[in-house]
Amino acid sequence: MAGARRYRTAYLFLAPAVLVMLAVVLYPFIYNVAISFSNMSLYHLRDPQFIGLAHYKTIFLETEIWGIFGKTILWTAINVVSHLTLGIGLALLLNQEVRGRAWFRALLILPWAMPQYITALTWKGMFNYEYGAVNLLLKAVHLPAVPWLSNETWAFIAPIIANVWLGFPFMMVVALGALQSIPKEMYEAAQLDGANWWYQFRRITLPMLKPVLGPAAVLGTIWTFNNLNVIWLVTNQGEPADKTHILVTYVYKAAFHYYRYGYAAAFSIVIFLILLSFVVYYMRIQKEEV
Amino acid sequence: MRTYLLPLVLLVLVASCGEGTEKIPEVVIWEFMDPKERVILEESIEAFQATNPGFVVKHTNYPPEQLRTQFLTAAMAGGGPDLVFGPADNAGPFSVAGVIQPIEKLFDNQYLAGFEPLAFDTLDGHIWTLPSQVGNHLCLIYNRALVDEVPGTLREMLDQAETLTVDEDGDGRPDTYGLVFDSKEPFWLVPFLGAYGGRVMNANSEPTLDTQAMVNALAMMKNIRVDRGLMPPGTDIQLAETLFKEGKAAYTINGYWSWGGYLDAGLDFGVTSIPIHDETGLWPAPFVSSRGYSVNANLKGAKLERALETLRYLVSPAVQIRTAHELYVIPSSIEAVKDPAIQSDMRIKAAWEQLRHGKRMPVVPEMRAIWDAMRPAYQNVINGEMTPQEAAKAMQADAIKKIREMKG
Repeated sequence: MAGARRYRTAYLFLAPAVLVMLAVVLYPFIYNVAISFSNMSLYHLRDPQFIGLAHYKTIFLETEIWGIFGKTILWTAINVVSHLTLGIGLALLLNQEVRGRAWFRALLILPWAMPQYITALTWKGMFNYEYGAVNLLLKAVHLPAVPWLSNETWAFIAPIIANVWLGFPFMMVVALGALQSIPKEMYEAAQLDGANWWYQFRRITLPMLKPVLGPAAVLGTIWTFNNLNVIWLVTNQGEPADKTHILVTYVYKAAFHYYRYGYAAAFSIVIFLILLSFVVYYMRIQKEEV
Repeated sequence: MRTYLLPLVLLVLVASCGEGTEKIPEVVIWEFMDPKERVILEESIEAFQATNPGFVVKHTNYPPEQLRTQFLTAAMAGGGPDLVFGPADNAGPFSVAGVIQPIEKLFDNQYLAGFEPLAFDTLDGHIWTLPSQVGNHLCLIYNRALVDEVPGTLREMLDQAETLTVDEDGDGRPDTYGLVFDSKEPFWLVPFLGAYGGRVMNANSEPTLDTQAMVNALAMMKNIRVDRGLMPPGTDIQLAETLFKEGKAAYTINGYWSWGGYLDAGLDFGVTSIPIHDETGLWPAPFVSSRGYSVNANLKGAKLERALETLRYLVSPAVQIRTAHELYVIPSSIEAVKDPAIQSDMRIKAAWEQLRHGKRMPVVPEMRAIWDAMRPAYQNVINGEMTPQEAAKAMQADAIKKIREMKG
């Protein structure tokens, strides 16, 4: 009680933010959970009925969903690994004393600075079979044109390429910041002990990057797992033949094309639980390492 | 300092309560219009406001999907715009959700008699959209520089298109294509389905996709794209329009919305009906629908009256005639249709002719499931991953599943 009185001013300052958070985060979340147990759809917008776990059962019993789940894992893994590899690689290069370093840095951050929507549509145009820049380049080096957006496999690779291009600058900026905070003395001491570049990278650079890149990788995983824009826009809503969906694009279609609000709400909860499990698992590993 | 602050605040409060700052209630329109159509809307609004000083009309443009979702969400919550403009099939989800009002309850019969009867789409016995244009359908468009005369039958036209598909530089890819259209959207499959006597759903809104007519139509699409190679792989609307605009395609199938772009590109083109099918003796039957305004169900009293007054102006013959002149759309107003300039426009006349062969597009919400069931199977046939028979079966099964899921 005394504590409450003591921190009254602090609570008062916090109150508006807490109220806003309750209104824009907690309330929609609880509402989402509630409608996930109902048959709310276009036909039952005004009279939704409680149907228990029916939507959850449907989600786990639909064989199609498991294929989409697999694709989501693949999409996330390829993207995050590529973002990390490219990001760290470029950060290592930019951390060297090279001429025009500031220019390179600005140039490489450019993909990140562009609106995702514009980038995705630009890439879609570049993957056009007849007039796309990618096929024109392939043609210039006497390679056959690739049906980027009409073949199932290529249509999945196309948004991955676009998203790798979009995502590496974030990891690069994070890695560069971390690299610059590593004391130079550590490398000098290692060099005196005869450590080669690879040994220094494994024993100094990577361990020092880990505290920063770990959370960035977790964030990257969540963002990529839930990245609707790129795959939705590049593949034109899951084309060809609805074969390039990941979980979020599938749930978006269920909600806003078919107005299956209850089902989509249940699906969102499942996606939330998947990501929550991932974060909890990551935090546990972190704790064990500490 | 405080002694000066209090009177200042009071002054601001009093001033803001004054008559001079009383806000005129706005009439808000959400629309899905092409940029050129939007310019006409804006100028019409300006003209309306000039002659009706008590009115302020605002409009916001949305892409089609967002328009549906946003309007549904807003209107369900008791808000949303006063009027919503879009294709007539918006009426399906909007009327089922109860977010728009029946038009026949807002306007008397005498007023509605001034519109072409075929411009009205009905659902559950009600008119949900006051049409400002009719048609919104596909026609056959040809490049006069490449096509001297359009053959009389479909088979002859395809044969001609094949001779016009030419690889001039011998790199294995044609430099001129015979017939290009969106090979990804089933909207373009529908005319050919009609040429075999097929429909996508019956009168009870049940899918009728697994039919011999569908198999034949899909086989024809495969013949056009793959066997004859009249268009490049993966041709979508953008590619089809680009090829046609650049004079690299003899024929295209597209709607009035594309004609302005062809004119801007300096193309000399003609518009005609897709020729009759040699074997069935049936005309290809594109979907025909109207576009117009629906009225928010939340509107009442004076606010409703203001919205209806605005609406009367926006669908008036004068506005429709201007729109028809500039965009080649077919007006819904009988008076506008009789306008001599419209009667003498060869392209609009050709679109009328095609419209006569068309079939009304159902406006029920189930159409969403039908389209989405047709699309993947259709694309699979084009990509060679399914036979037409397999695709027809898959479409039917998927449509039934999707409709069942939609209905919950």
